[in-house]
Amino acid sequence: METQFKTTVCGFLLAAAVPAAAQRLTDQLPKDSVYRQINVSPTDKITQERMNKGLVTNPLDALSGQVAGVSVTSGSSNPTAMLNSVRVRGTTSLTGGNDPLVMIDGVSSDLATLSSIYPADIESFAILKNASETAQFGSRGAAGVIQVTTKKGRGGQFHISYDGNAGFQRVYRNMEMLDASQYIATAQRLGVDYNNGGCSSDFPAFVTRTGFIQNHHLAFSGGNEASHYRASIGYMDNNTVVKTNDYQNFVAKLDLSQRAFDDRLTVDMGVFGSSQSNHELFDEQRLFYSAASQNPTITTGKNASGGWTKNSTASQIEHPAPLLELKDDVKYLNFNTHLRLKFQLLRDLSLSLFGSYSYTSQENAQFCPTWVWAQGQAYRGEQKSEDWLGNVSVDYGHRWGAHQLDVLLLGEYQKQRKTAFWTLVKGFTTNLFGYHNLGAGSLRPYGGTGSSYEAPSLGSVLGSVSYTLLDRYKLTVSTRADASSMVGDNNRWGVFPSASAEWDLKAERALQDVSWLSQLRLRAGYGLSGNLGGISSYYSMQLMQQNGVVSAFGAPVVTMSTIRNVNPDLKWETRGTFNVGTEWGFFDNRLVLTTDYYYSKTTDMLYEYDVPVPPFAYNKLLANIGSMSNSGLEIGLSVTPLRKKDMELNVNINFAWQKNKLISLSGDYNGTAMTAANVSPIGSLNGAGFHGGNNNIVYQIVGQPLGVFYLPHCTGLQQEADGSYTYAIADLNEDGVISLDDGGDRYVAGQATPKLMLGSNIGFRYKNIDVSLQMNGAFGHKIYNGTSLTYMNMASFPAYNVMKEAPARNIQDQTATDYWLENGNYLNFDYLTVGWNVPVRSKYISSLRLSCSVNNLGTITGYSGLTPMINSHVVNNTLGIDDKRSYPVYRSYSVGFSIQF
Amino acid sequence: MKKYVYLLACLLGCTACFDENPKSQLTEDEAFSTNTDLYLNTVVTLYNYIGGTTDSEGLQGTYRGVYDYNTFTTDEALVPTRGVDWYDGGFWQGLYLHEWTADDTALYNTWSYLYKVVVLCNQSIARLEQHASLLTDCEKLVSQGEVRAIRALFYYYLLDMFGNIPLCVSQDVALPDVKQSFRSEVFRFVVKELQEVLPYLPESMSQLTDYYYGRITRPVAWFLLMKLALNAEIYADDNWTDGVQLEGKNIFFTVDGQQLNAWQTVQAYGRLLTAFGYRLETDYTRNFARDNESSMENIFVIPMDKMLYATVFKNIFRSLHYNHGSALSRYQENGSCATVSTVRAYGYATPQEDSRFALNFFSDTVRVDGKLIYLDNGRPLVYSPLEAKLDLSGSPYEKTAGARMSKYAIDRTAYSDGQLQNNDIVLFRYADVLLMMAEAKIRNGEDGSAELNQVRARVGMGARPATLDNVLQERLLELMWEGWRRQDLIRFRRFTAAYDERPQLPGESSGYTTVFPIPNKARELNKNLKQHTGYK
Repeated sequence: METQFKTTVCGFLLAAAVPAAAQRLTDQLPKDSVYRQINVSPTDKITQERMNKGLVTNPLDALSGQVAGVSVTSGSSNPTAMLNSVRVRGTTSLTGGNDPLVMIDGVSSDLATLSSIYPADIESFAILKNASETAQFGSRGAAGVIQVTTKKGRGGQFHISYDGNAGFQRVYRNMEMLDASQYIATAQRLGVDYNNGGCSSDFPAFVTRTGFIQNHHLAFSGGNEASHYRASIGYMDNNTVVKTNDYQNFVAKLDLSQRAFDDRLTVDMGVFGSSQSNHELFDEQRLFYSAASQNPTITTGKNASGGWTKNSTASQIEHPAPLLELKDDVKYLNFNTHLRLKFQLLRDLSLSLFGSYSYTSQENAQFCPTWVWAQGQAYRGEQKSEDWLGNVSVDYGHRWGAHQLDVLLLGEYQKQRKTAFWTLVKGFTTNLFGYHNLGAGSLRPYGGTGSSYEAPSLGSVLGSVSYTLLDRYKLTVSTRADASSMVGDNNRWGVFPSASAEWDLKAERALQDVSWLSQLRLRAGYGLSGNLGGISSYYSMQLMQQNGVVSAFGAPVVTMSTIRNVNPDLKWETRGTFNVGTEWGFFDNRLVLTTDYYYSKTTDMLYEYDVPVPPFAYNKLLANIGSMSNSGLEIGLSVTPLRKKDMELNVNINFAWQKNKLISLSGDYNGTAMTAANVSPIGSLNGAGFHGGNNNIVYQIVGQPLGVFYLPHCTGLQQEADGSYTYAIADLNEDGVISLDDGGDRYVAGQATPKLMLGSNIGFRYKNIDVSLQMNGAFGHKIYNGTSLTYMNMASFPAYNVMKEAPARNIQDQTATDYWLENGNYLNFDYLTVGWNVPVRSKYISSLRLSCSVNNLGTITGYSGLTPMINSHVVNNTLGIDDKRSYPVYRSYSVGFSIQF
Repeated sequence: MKKYVYLLACLLGCTACFDENPKSQLTEDEAFSTNTDLYLNTVVTLYNYIGGTTDSEGLQGTYRGVYDYNTFTTDEALVPTRGVDWYDGGFWQGLYLHEWTADDTALYNTWSYLYKVVVLCNQSIARLEQHASLLTDCEKLVSQGEVRAIRALFYYYLLDMFGNIPLCVSQDVALPDVKQSFRSEVFRFVVKELQEVLPYLPESMSQLTDYYYGRITRPVAWFLLMKLALNAEIYADDNWTDGVQLEGKNIFFTVDGQQLNAWQTVQAYGRLLTAFGYRLETDYTRNFARDNESSMENIFVIPMDKMLYATVFKNIFRSLHYNHGSALSRYQENGSCATVSTVRAYGYATPQEDSRFALNFFSDTVRVDGKLIYLDNGRPLVYSPLEAKLDLSGSPYEKTAGARMSKYAIDRTAYSDGQLQNNDIVLFRYADVLLMMAEAKIRNGEDGSAELNQVRARVGMGARPATLDNVLQERLLELMWEGWRRQDLIRFRRFTAAYDERPQLPGESSGYTTVFPIPNKARELNKNLKQHTGYK
């Protein structure tokens, strides 16, 4: 273990001994975690050498494509989108709590905090997917757990290491719209009235630039037999390819460990802080929509009168230049600290006391200058969250003869305090202040200023017993009871038991002599977990809050009212998961195969059900009624066809088939039968002509996977009298009328989420040179190309610019049909990295590495839009819809350098 | 198992660990702890729902709600499809062509909005009962009276739009008991409620920025009773597709102990309003001016003050051309305009042009601060009122056809592109009282010319004989885009006939389109609800 750690500490060395897949998590997890070490499938564990290389600017980048069943949207899309896009085995809840729990060295955290950690500080990730694995995290782990172990100092030597990289990013694909001369020629040919600004502007290119990225990281570690420490600081700077869109992050981390009293006491302490500053795009869709469809004859600069010219008849877009002046800045501050005392009471019995405190704040500052928003608007807001967590655990492990018994008892209490305040101001006479002088605005509208307070608490008790016989047969049974302040009084406690069994067949006598089989294990488990992601504080309480300001007694008065139907019986949404898996190792683990099958069913599903008004005052009620299932098969394959002293080839590949079904949204609430609509829209198209009428694309339909395309069927293009074409729509229900209504001529035309996801890595080493290629793919889903539907519509011309092919195709229609529904299959080459571990013979330098990478090499796809890598995972209003949010596709080129003393 | 869990939790001293102590919200007891709080949070709170900030909420000022369903379904206004603009899935064309369906989301949202307020009223009445100890008997009657009047107002809109509807008058009604009542029952209930609470309502003018600004005062209730009586033939009809109706002369009300027919009732309440001091302003535009709070003609308004309230007014915002908006330094949506038949009714571009045309509409060449407004192609903006049609796509007048709204003075200090302005939105006004009086007199066999010509004389138009046709015409000219046209056309049996560009729908002569369908979503959720004849 010691030696292995040294080989990986500087980051990018390939593990020489065994393929990554063959290592077991139990060997890696620090023994100081209070949480039970879990035998996860080895492919679900990502150690340093398996983390993505290339240009990794975020720990989530390091993870992308490496684990079957974990989707991280990456590649060409907007880097900020990644934060909300991590899903473990798909979506299991309709209302929330789909983000996996992040545990950083045993401290519960979230994806935002994880994204602020410097990737080189991470020693390993483990992804816990099965209920029996996540059971000990209770409700927080309902959507899977990403366990992060950061690097700690180890006894003995003193180390200093630096690693860093720098690179640039170039757009390689962007929207192809008519250029100025084509625009004019088309308008003249059609004889339509157009505006000629006399320029030739390429607006899609105008909003982009060459991106520049740099990351630097410095770490120190050292200590002696009884104590050790590690300290690191890191800086990341990412100027994206879109003007004014950039990210900076500064992190510092310190971990200390001390043993005392003849090793009877172990003290661990860690502090982590980060400060992140983002300049986001205020309205991504509006910016790229405007850039694509702005009249190309208009100058990109200011006009003679000092303002920006826009096609005033194109009401849904603006000149892109002032849109870039909109500010949407976010500052995240993170401070985490934890302290752990572990007492070895007896040889077999230990007691751990653990406490952690974390503080996060998010400051938002937005400014809309008067050029874009009449009278301007500025917003400042801050959200703070403090989180106290304490737990006590008793661990007993005893071995006698062929038996081993492990017992864990744990009690835990977590209290959060979330506060926020915000102010929105309008009415500026100057744009010079930005958001720095709210006092310069003349209007503070009702609702623009506010503050809030929430203090939810969560408590748990966990008991877990594990019995192992002959090191071969292992049975674990655990039960966790969670209580939350957010559920109804009568449903406070949720009890979530789980059981799992594991059989190491290779240890059986019959197989011990089978030389070609180096490993064989069977695992199976079943467990329940609870989820409260859809609930916020006070949802189960009848409370009053302000509903507006009205005139009373001759003066404006703010009044109070209930603002939603209250459901005092809210309870835990429960998911039961069954899993069975195998692990095979052949030929000294040069071929490792893992398989996992799972089936999970979410019941008492939280959802905002439609309820009748009257008798209810509001037409939605959050209640536990419906159910949904998820199932899937995950296969991981790791092959080492070549392993010699000077040369090694590793191929890792993982497949994940996923299947989701919304089983039911009806049931019983207080004796009243409740039915949610069987068909409800989730996502629709935006922009000119798409305001609230038959523009829904993606639906949630009972009996179907979550997120299906429910569309009218286009039988082809039909020519109109004026020679233009429209979409011919089939009368699917054969009632003689074409109806685009939800209940009309629509059919389920495909699903938005991939049926199969693929991740693959090929690593090759020759002497000190190594090469790594990562590919990710998704298959079996569709994408609605709303971008082409809009930009191909000649009826919008010349107010809006159109795509190059549009004049020839002469479609004058933008009715949403399945015509623009395309296959979303793709295979993306995420990165190619070449590294050289420079052989240095120095007293001080222990390793030196140089590398260069190209990220986002290219994509193989049949999809006709800009990129198929849109949101195909997260159930929200953008799922499966490519709708003018055309973040240009870019490639990154970078060089990396790391040195260890 | 659970027992041990509790035991363990108790051991950990955690019995109170899971209590919530909200600091940014109030419990009911806290919200109703004093006499004043009780009044504010049960009665005054309901006025937040007269106007609105989101689609389908608010009686006027927002999109796709009560106002749009009563205006864009008629011959006075339309939102033409202008190329890619304003097609919106055919929503606006559907309103104009009467092709709405029970599946329309906006219709369901409108239903939910109106009933939400009804249910909140029921809750307020119950809370006033529950916390009666904080009130004197008189205060309780006054408070509950005002809530009942608000509930009556919302039931009035519900019965007008949806016909046979559920009548829920208590917060304790369970779903199985939410069944439709006949329209006549709801109608009689609303009249009875308003008459019963009249003595408790303040005798005060609601339009003045006074103690009762924007509130339902006694005159507001009188006006509402006039509307109810005026439309009694329609509202007392439970089966509107059978061609049989009671006559207003045979529909009776008790007013101050007297038995009066519908037309006499209209007049009785009208006389009360006149006697109370309401009068026509000499200047028509005074009622829609930026500071129209002191108008003695307006009876019930949605208070607007861009610095104080959040309620929006989008009617002008969606009408003016983009560049017209730019000239006023704001964004405008270039949508709604007058129909050609409306423009003609004003005698547009003839020597007899009604003076109110220019007061209600922008047409032809328009100027802002005396300056022409230029289109992007360098030509001046010219609105072409006679080119308005349902689908203008591809027409040279695509973006400029139609007369645009100018009824309300443009508040140059407005915020949010003019949606947050200072002009109060006029819901009820005295000119309507006079026209209702004229109509009631004619229908009752009396002479209504005095009232009719009083309205005409104010805008300098010559007298006309008091016939029903002239009254309907006058209502169009005077009350243009004020949200009454659908109701007027129905009362005059013109709503289902072909007019302007609109053909009659197959089967529409039965009158089935005079009520909107019960939204299918409401019917899915409450199986008791039956669809009206003619709708699927």
